Amino acid sequence: MRLGIGLAIAAGGLLLSSMSNVASAHTPLCSCYDNGDGTVLCEGGFSDGSSASGVGMIVKDDSGNVVLKGKMNENSEFEFQKPDGVYTVIFDAGEGHDIEISHEDITE
Amino acid sequence: MKKFNLKRAIFGAITAAFTFAMAPAHAHFQLVYTPDVNLEKPGDVPFKLIFWHPFENGHAMNMGEPEDFFYVFKGKKTDLKNKLKPITFKAAHNESKAYEAMVPVKRNGDYILAFTPKPYYEKSEDIYIQQITKSYLNKGGLPTGWNEPIGLSTEIVPLNKPTNILAGSTFSGILQSNGKPVAGAEIEIEYLAAEPDMTANTPGKVTASPMPGGAVVAITDDNGYFSFGIPKAGFWGFAALGSGPAKEYEGKELSQDAVLWIRAYDLK
Repeated sequence: MRLGIGLAIAAGGLLLSSMSNVASAHTPLCSCYDNGDGTVLCEGGFSDGSSASGVGMIVKDDSGNVVLKGKMNENSEFEFQKPDGVYTVIFDAGEGHDIEISHEDITE
Repeated sequence: MKKFNLKRAIFGAITAAFTFAMAPAHAHFQLVYTPDVNLEKPGDVPFKLIFWHPFENGHAMNMGEPEDFFYVFKGKKTDLKNKLKPITFKAAHNESKAYEAMVPVKRNGDYILAFTPKPYYEKSEDIYIQQITKSYLNKGGLPTGWNEPIGLSTEIVPLNKPTNILAGSTFSGILQSNGKPVAGAEIEIEYLAAEPDMTANTPGKVTASPMPGGAVVAITDDNGYFSFGIPKAGFWGFAALGSGPAKEYEGKELSQDAVLWIRAYDLK
């Protein structure tokens, strides 16, 4: 029984790693726009057209402190209140698949 | 009387020379052009709409009044007709009526632009020509439907991403009329030999000229499929002649053509 569970976990791990291999064959994409009303909209995706739904989104301040965290919605979009001053948006699709966008590149 | 005959003779000679000069240049191409089809940032994208013989950097025609101009983005149509402004395009040897437009682009994905002019009367052939033209933009590298038809009465549906074809590779497409494949259709293929200068509205640097043997042609197979090797980086046009369902305009023959433009790059 234990062996069975162990195998299931191993199989699950194998499945996960093979999934991330698939992910490494495409490029992550993310763009953010200042909505001009105090909010920022980010849209993500992958170069093969696959969805970014569920991908973690992190907003950090000047010192690298996390200001807010969230996830891309079912439309691969994430909207948040624009922090004051300097900030960076991170599209966190895993190692080698994260994108950092500086507030300077987020325009209306 | 003698003078009259002389005049006619001169006129006849000029007409004959003109017709002869035009004969190899049969390939009319409606151009929907912007220099950079792959965008990274939001902004207004400048377009030039010119009715031209692009391969030979030749005569430009006074194009028909715009009937329809829009883009399709993620299946949604956005009208662009009110963005069109008339310009004069100064071709190598003549001037012609053309149009320009600034097209606002924000979100990531494929923008499929479609332009339909009113039919153009081609005197030398005594027919009307209407070229329903598609041109593509992509922002942010995200593919969102470049390979989908957009419901035009006739159109070429690309099977290779039209915004980043590699020079030396191939481009394939399926020709449709009313959504059905068109078999045995002639597709003329031209290279934009002199990409337009976007501020001067003139042809830019000439980078190619047509080879002997007339128009470059592919014929669609039973499934409307065709393929063509792209030998050189730049802007390539495909015009399916008379593939559209409308065959007559104001009592004369109408050639309703499907035109598509692609951008090819060198692999560096």
